[in-house]
Amino acid sequence: MADVLETIKEQCIKGKRVEVLTEVKRALAEGVDAKRVMLEALIPAMSVVGEKYSSGEFFLPQMMLGARAMSEALQFLKPYLVQASYEKKGKALVGTVQGDFHDIGKNIVKMMLEGGGYEVVDLGVDVSPESFVAAIEQEAPQFVLMSALITLTMDSMRRTIQTLEASGVRQKVRVGVGGAPVTQKFADEIGADFYNADAYGCVEKCNQLLG
Amino acid sequence: MTPKERVMTALAGGQPDQVPWVEGEFEQALQIRLMGGRTDYTPGELCRAMGMDGFGFHFPIGADAAASKPPHAAKSAHDDYYYPQSITFDFTPPWIAEMGKDSTGRAFVKKGLLVDRDSLRLFDEFMPDPDHPARYETVARWIEQYREDYAVYARIRLGTASTIESMGLDVFSLTMYDDPDLVKEIHRRFSEWSIRVLEHLNRLDLDFYWAADDHADTKMPWVNLEMYDEFLYPYQKMVADAIKKPWALHSDGNLFPILDGLLKLGMDAIHPIQPSAMDIGKMKAQYGSRACLIGNIDLDYTLTRGTPEEVDAEVKERIAVAGKGGGYIISSGNSLTDYCKIENVWAMAQALKKYGKY
Repeated sequence: MADVLETIKEQCIKGKRVEVLTEVKRALAEGVDAKRVMLEALIPAMSVVGEKYSSGEFFLPQMMLGARAMSEALQFLKPYLVQASYEKKGKALVGTVQGDFHDIGKNIVKMMLEGGGYEVVDLGVDVSPESFVAAIEQEAPQFVLMSALITLTMDSMRRTIQTLEASGVRQKVRVGVGGAPVTQKFADEIGADFYNADAYGCVEKCNQLLG
Repeated sequence: MTPKERVMTALAGGQPDQVPWVEGEFEQALQIRLMGGRTDYTPGELCRAMGMDGFGFHFPIGADAAASKPPHAAKSAHDDYYYPQSITFDFTPPWIAEMGKDSTGRAFVKKGLLVDRDSLRLFDEFMPDPDHPARYETVARWIEQYREDYAVYARIRLGTASTIESMGLDVFSLTMYDDPDLVKEIHRRFSEWSIRVLEHLNRLDLDFYWAADDHADTKMPWVNLEMYDEFLYPYQKMVADAIKKPWALHSDGNLFPILDGLLKLGMDAIHPIQPSAMDIGKMKAQYGSRACLIGNIDLDYTLTRGTPEEVDAEVKERIAVAGKGGGYIISSGNSLTDYCKIENVWAMAQALKKYGKY
């Protein structure tokens, strides 16, 4: 049993989508619980992919390949996980802030979070402060993660946090910010809970905050 | 030295009389604010006002001066490209993508459309004829009319940015594994378009080219060196070989992991050495003898949110680090955008006067 989980993990790190799916089916046929496949093979595989991306060993295409293999395997496992009433680790809203239409960074964070076992609600690009508030009320996430690529739109992050405060939902969530021009100093200045320079670091921060 | 001599000396790795200043982009709204609201200034007037040494970006004037009009019977979907109505020196292909405009009018790519083999037919629909004479004739007249003694460049692409933006970075990344020949085919088509453009541009009185092809974000390039060598370099090299003038490569982000590969192209300069991604001291020490360095005045903070004093200090420091011995052209760490603080752009001009003399 350990062998099949180890094989799934190794193939997922390499981004071998067909092999991962074949091995996941084999694992289920051998009686391995779907939750174990996820917790002991797929999520650890994405941790390795994330670490390799963070350290510069993996580049974006290799990271995306691993994320795709993981995502397809999870999609296959979904009905089995629902049967087992598996709870996600946490829920996060992600969005590129108002006035900004860049989504590459936000999409990478989304992939890494999903690979880390989180449920992610993607609000897209050009997300107004009011839309963040509405989504918090509707989705009840633990995290709100905002992205901006250009200096011009960084102020939307500040306005969003102010709007969360004015609407009385700020205390319900942890707010993380990221993107090329964003710094720890700026995050502190606008009252965000955390900042990280890369996507995997963001997942690690979320894990730490969940304790 | 004339401004042009200054730029060409630095591009060749030499030391001019003072550090030159050239921007790869200088948004018109900011130009107009700096020119006191005027829209009728010539490129030379703007350069003199700023203390800049060259141009190749857009200007608000031009329609009345030299732009031709499409013959009534020959209208095509590409008339905006063939018959520019204000001064431009751009010879870049359109993105094959669904485009949007933000509230400031800045265009952005909503979605790349080159996603499979069927979509290759979109090349015919989107790409202007690179041999159509009208744009070259108009730009030739503009160069003659406005060049004075400034360095004039044309903006081109090697084809990489066109490939990535027209596929979407996610599709590009995965297609390198799923259908590698498709990525190569798309890059080859964009590169061959640029090569045909260059056959015309090489005959114009341009001083250099500025090839704008993003390869990276602040963390790292989007490909490793092995992928670069297989998917990008062969097609970029075809374009580089067609270039018959000095040229600068522009790419945002951290290029260090693939820089040895990029330098095989033989460019004369690298721009913009984005300060949040690359250390210009390291660049100068390790690569300064192989390429002129252009850029590194921070756009993320200093020019947009900093103070004139901080701009002054940064210009002084950059000139001390990167200007030593020549081979440095000062410029923003990306472009002069309309959200730069006007007092900070003036501060950059003043600081260059103070610290830029060799």
